[in-house]
Amino acid sequence: MALQEPKTLAMQINHRRVEFPEGVTVLRAAELNGIKIPSLCSHKDLSAFGSCRMCMVEIEGMRGYPLACDTRAQEGMKVLTESVRLRELRIEILKLLLSEHPSSCLLCDESDDCKEYQGTIRKTGVSTGCRFCPNDHQCELQDLVEELGIKDIDYPIYYRGLEPEQDDPFYDRDYNICVLCGRCVRMCQEVRGTSVLAFSWRGRKAKIGTAFDRSHVQAGCEFCGACVDICPTGALADKASKWDGKPDGFITTTCPFCAVGCQLDVAHKDGRLSSAKAALDPEINDGQICVKGRFCMPEATHHFTRARKPMVRKGRYFRESTWEEAIHAVAAAISTVQPADIAMLVSPDLSCEGLFSAGWFADSVIPGASLDTSARDLLPGGAQLWKAFFSKPISLKDISRCDTILSVGLDTRFHFSIVGVQIRRAIAKGAKLIAVDARSGNLTRYTDDWLQPMPGTEGALLVALAAAISGETPDSERAATSSGVAPEKIAHAVKMLASGHDIAVLVGPQAIQNGGPAVLAAMASLLKSPSVRLVPFYFGANSRGVLELGMLDRTPSFGIEQLRSGSVHPKVLYLVGEVPFSKRPDCDFLVVQDIYLPPFDADVFLPAASFAEAKGTLINIEGRLQEASQIESFPDGMRTGFARPDWWTFTELAAAVKVSPPALTSLEAVQAAISTAFPGIPAKADRMPRVSPEAFPPGVLKAEVTSLNGSVGKFRLVPSPAGFTHRGINLVAKVEGLAMLALEEGIRMNPADLKTLGIPSGSEAEVCVTGTTTKAIAISDAECPAGCAYFTVPTTCGGIEHRTGMQALFKHTTIVGADIAPATGSSTQVGG
Amino acid sequence: MNTKQLDEARRVAKVEWARLSDNTEPLIYFGTGTCGIAAGAADARQAAEDYLKETGKSARIIEVGCIGPCYLEPLMDVKMPGLPRISYSNVTPEHARRILSSFFQDNEITPFHLAGSHGEETLDKVPRFFDMPMLKPQVRVVLRNCGIIDPDDIGHCLALDGYSAIAKCLTSKPEDVLDIVKRSGLRGRGGAGFPTWKKWSFCRSAPGDQRYLICNADEGDPGAFMNRSLIEGDPHALLEGMLIAAYTIGASKGIVYIRAEYPLAITRLKRAIGLMRELNLLGKNILGSDFSFDISIKEGAGAFVCGEETALIASIEGKRGMPRTRPPFPAIEGLWGKPTIINNVETLSVLASIVRNGPEWYSQWGTETSKGTKTFSLVGKVRRTGLIEVPLGTTLRQVVFDIGGGTAKPFKAVQSGGPSGGCLSAEFLDLPMDYESLASVGSIMGSGGLIVVDADTCIVDTAKYFLTFTRHESCGKCVPCRVGTMHLVELLEKICAGKAEMSDLDKIDRLAKVIKEGSLCALGGTAPNPVLSSMKYFRGEFLDHIVNRRCPAAVCRDLVVYRVIPGKCTGCQRCVSVCPTNAISGPRSEPHNLDPEKCIKCRSCYEVCRFDAIAGDAIVIEPR
Repeated sequence: MALQEPKTLAMQINHRRVEFPEGVTVLRAAELNGIKIPSLCSHKDLSAFGSCRMCMVEIEGMRGYPLACDTRAQEGMKVLTESVRLRELRIEILKLLLSEHPSSCLLCDESDDCKEYQGTIRKTGVSTGCRFCPNDHQCELQDLVEELGIKDIDYPIYYRGLEPEQDDPFYDRDYNICVLCGRCVRMCQEVRGTSVLAFSWRGRKAKIGTAFDRSHVQAGCEFCGACVDICPTGALADKASKWDGKPDGFITTTCPFCAVGCQLDVAHKDGRLSSAKAALDPEINDGQICVKGRFCMPEATHHFTRARKPMVRKGRYFRESTWEEAIHAVAAAISTVQPADIAMLVSPDLSCEGLFSAGWFADSVIPGASLDTSARDLLPGGAQLWKAFFSKPISLKDISRCDTILSVGLDTRFHFSIVGVQIRRAIAKGAKLIAVDARSGNLTRYTDDWLQPMPGTEGALLVALAAAISGETPDSERAATSSGVAPEKIAHAVKMLASGHDIAVLVGPQAIQNGGPAVLAAMASLLKSPSVRLVPFYFGANSRGVLELGMLDRTPSFGIEQLRSGSVHPKVLYLVGEVPFSKRPDCDFLVVQDIYLPPFDADVFLPAASFAEAKGTLINIEGRLQEASQIESFPDGMRTGFARPDWWTFTELAAAVKVSPPALTSLEAVQAAISTAFPGIPAKADRMPRVSPEAFPPGVLKAEVTSLNGSVGKFRLVPSPAGFTHRGINLVAKVEGLAMLALEEGIRMNPADLKTLGIPSGSEAEVCVTGTTTKAIAISDAECPAGCAYFTVPTTCGGIEHRTGMQALFKHTTIVGADIAPATGSSTQVGG
Repeated sequence: MNTKQLDEARRVAKVEWARLSDNTEPLIYFGTGTCGIAAGAADARQAAEDYLKETGKSARIIEVGCIGPCYLEPLMDVKMPGLPRISYSNVTPEHARRILSSFFQDNEITPFHLAGSHGEETLDKVPRFFDMPMLKPQVRVVLRNCGIIDPDDIGHCLALDGYSAIAKCLTSKPEDVLDIVKRSGLRGRGGAGFPTWKKWSFCRSAPGDQRYLICNADEGDPGAFMNRSLIEGDPHALLEGMLIAAYTIGASKGIVYIRAEYPLAITRLKRAIGLMRELNLLGKNILGSDFSFDISIKEGAGAFVCGEETALIASIEGKRGMPRTRPPFPAIEGLWGKPTIINNVETLSVLASIVRNGPEWYSQWGTETSKGTKTFSLVGKVRRTGLIEVPLGTTLRQVVFDIGGGTAKPFKAVQSGGPSGGCLSAEFLDLPMDYESLASVGSIMGSGGLIVVDADTCIVDTAKYFLTFTRHESCGKCVPCRVGTMHLVELLEKICAGKAEMSDLDKIDRLAKVIKEGSLCALGGTAPNPVLSSMKYFRGEFLDHIVNRRCPAAVCRDLVVYRVIPGKCTGCQRCVSVCPTNAISGPRSEPHNLDPEKCIKCRSCYEVCRFDAIAGDAIVIEPR
């Protein structure tokens, strides 16, 4: 159905006839005709508010001074945007506003000189520009003051004297600078649908805050930074780039942290990546973003432990070296062993170019070498199945158009945040949400239909619900007995799903990894329902790229599972952006190619270029081939480092081992080669969604309900990821703020269970799984269902130095039974 | 229940009601509105109960609402068999015992604290209660049942024709009811005076299947208590009015938005709503008709701005009580985006009387443009304070001097309309109180607060008080109101401290205009009224503060000194004992000495010094 074109109407603004589409406000109509009406609180994405009073206009036939932002333009209206009285009122009101705003940066006598001479070289100390507000020269209030020509305020100044709020991660809030325009509040409520921010107090004490002045972490903030970006002043400021000043420019790129592939506008200052904000890309994220994309980029690439130089082991020493030396060391090691003894591991966070070059290297340079990737864990069930999942178009934007949404094991607070926005948008339009989650998450807040199965039994429930969607009779009874969800709750959900016309089934990575084959089977069974949009969420920014470049079709002799368990011994192990080990894996020669050093000894370290330093393409969950731009291009140097893109390293290595396959000498050459080898993938990023041609061969999977029969122990031991991964490093260790959002290490259990076991929260507990016993801190968590113990696994083992106590547990990637008891011999309270 | 059954219930109620007039058992009435209880009615009632228990006499105690004259509270009425109901005023527990013993033991009507008798009958040496100077000039339409009926007994209400108006409405078309309201000339009693019928007809013609009726009982003006007293005394008047309004506009859901600070009114409303449900006066198919309507109560958390209709709606919707720009007006797009009528308690409460007696009966009172009667809470330095109801167009003089009995010190001004209204000087005493006249002199009718001030009150201080109130109650949304009122208070404080200059008056003027023209809602739009009107009518007093650094009313602390008059002081030491800073010293029986250095001007000594033997106070405050 084509949208009806709005009618064009006409009115008079400042005695000039202007045309405008029906339904817009006077402010917008003026804007469309190039007439600027001053305003602070209005914003095109938000509803009208009317607090700043700047956009007052005169309209014939209307009393007083109506607001342009909140008055609908009508045919034949006569509007005056400028008059002597309007100007007076605006100036007076702005002066009032400034009287409670620190205004040294606005009304300084020296401001002109300051601006003009700041770049001058001087010998003596003079003012180098005051920094009272992080938004100096990027402040809408400042612009307005300049526009209205205010030079002094004849009101006494009342500084609010509020304590700056700096205890939450990622952004500081200084409400002394706030002009109470309410943009952040409206953004949080109307666009994000989270309602964390609100007005509190009244009169002169009125301010922005959370309910009951809780911290933002507690209040459920997603740290998406939308409020920071929409703030017209410096009241909300990004901690990392706060004092960077006005950026030199913005570069649009693709977020490297997950498979959604949000488009970002990355600010750069003096050639360095400064901060990132969401791009107004209508295809995917439409100006919205999650905590990782908004706040983690600068620290992830600029962290002080960033490894920028090649390193080579010589005897007892592991020393910085030249690229030449490092390449030769690797080439020498490769040449001395049989290719069959070489194992490579690649990360699903690499760009397509990196992945392809790695594959090319393994196939053409050292043919016979093994190559595997952790995407095999992230996309369980085999390449065939996932190609089938991707054989139907996926559109994240369309989730907001669905009338029924089933989310399984999905928490969109910090991961896939923009999906949460779309879900809430759908709910606002009247859609029904059914959330299946063992723990309460940020989606369970928005639904009355929260089905809480025992962890690991999501599959049983999903099988029944999938049957309902497909129009079959579900075996609700069996689902109820296996999952522990009340039968009437299942019946209600079944009824809602059966009556849905446009159903989105969103399955989170937790459910896919913990739920076992039953979840995958149920998902596969949904593929034939035309009314269902199935979206399987997975970690790894380019996991779909891994799949489409055929890397999961390989049958490596050194599989990731075997390498992790230490059951194989490759002579040379080459880790490309992938460190799934907490201690040195069993091999003779270890090569690591990454952006940070691994937490164990390697023989050669090759510094890889980060997302900021090299160009590349990524394939997102919708199958779009998107470009990640290069932000920084410093020449090599001791400070700037010697990092190189992954494909470059492979080309150099190929040259060093004196094999001469068709050379991939430039990024374009790699891209052309990809396009030749995989005709479905274009040579240039086209950002078009695509589907896999493969259809799903039926009957591959059998719906098996996970049961813990046979395993010992009373508790379900559930692995729950504690961190945020990128290229084998846990971002928590690099990005300070993320540590506050990540789960703390330990065993989380229901308080009632802890009480029965006699384990005080915060003390050590013994976890016994099939004979091995591990000690871990027990944490009381009311959100955990009784009978379960969630243990925090780092999303990858490498890159974190402090998680050692629970290592024995990390090998359990699925739910197992465990016995838990108070730790013997030690009653030490930890923490507190 | 249908109309017939209601008539039957009314017949029974009338019989019961008649038994209260020719009673065989003595009746004791107590006015236990919030005002009565605050004045000590509960204690007096307890004393009466104790008395009855001790003496073994039997009598029935009936609690009624406030009858109006607050200065007489607590009121106790005694109705002995064969005698009319006789009111006693300012009854303490001891008084109650004494009055009751004279009735029960001595069998005589004591003149002690006698206020007057009710009913047609006249008794020797007993004045008629409603002939009192405060009550005689009043016309009680809305307040007709207040203080007369037991608000918790729906029978009393039925006996006095309660719910006969809605029964009448249900037999006619909503258009006819609208026409009655139109012909009555009723205008909104919340302050702005918008014709009620017009607002209703906007709502009726707005598209939509769901309409809401909201009663605005968020009475927040300092010194105003009309709505509270009315709901406490006769909740049924309001509820019947809501039925009529809902029937006319076609609303199926009504909400009373009432301040949580009115617990007694809420209790009584809830009780009354429960009783109505029992009689099928609320719920589905009311009185057997097609009309279904229900009322719920929403307690406001005490923000003054929530009396503004868009803020009120936001508050009901669970949002922060902040106004939004109008249009769209709530009559078109209100609660949950549906057409909504918001009427004041008094507007709704008067409807039943209008329908019962006809629009012409109601429009006999009032002026050309302002018809009917209006309740006012008459407070301040006036001799007789209380809740009054007078025809619109009554002059200020009649209200302040005839009803209120004037002021002890020379009359200075009346503040009408609370913090949104203006301060009117003596020259306007003959101004008829109607919407247009009050507006023409820079004040407003408002919801009916009348605060009388006399020569002992500083007009700058009064203006400062109201501005401080609005500064505190501003929701903080728009800049002119939030910041502007703040600066206005600061400027007034400067004047009160004697630190102002003449240019500050211009600043006030300029700022006030910005606030008036620039604010989003009426709270800000009217906030400067008290200061603008007082500056206009009492410019001399402002100038005195600024030029002479003098407060003629001797109120502004920084501009007065306290001093002992040696000739009058007897050295009784009372002031010495209350002075918190030991500023007063001196041996007993000798004139005291007041050290101005130590004096913090707390006024304590001035208040305790009542040396009647020597005429006048020995401690004086005088302008510096």
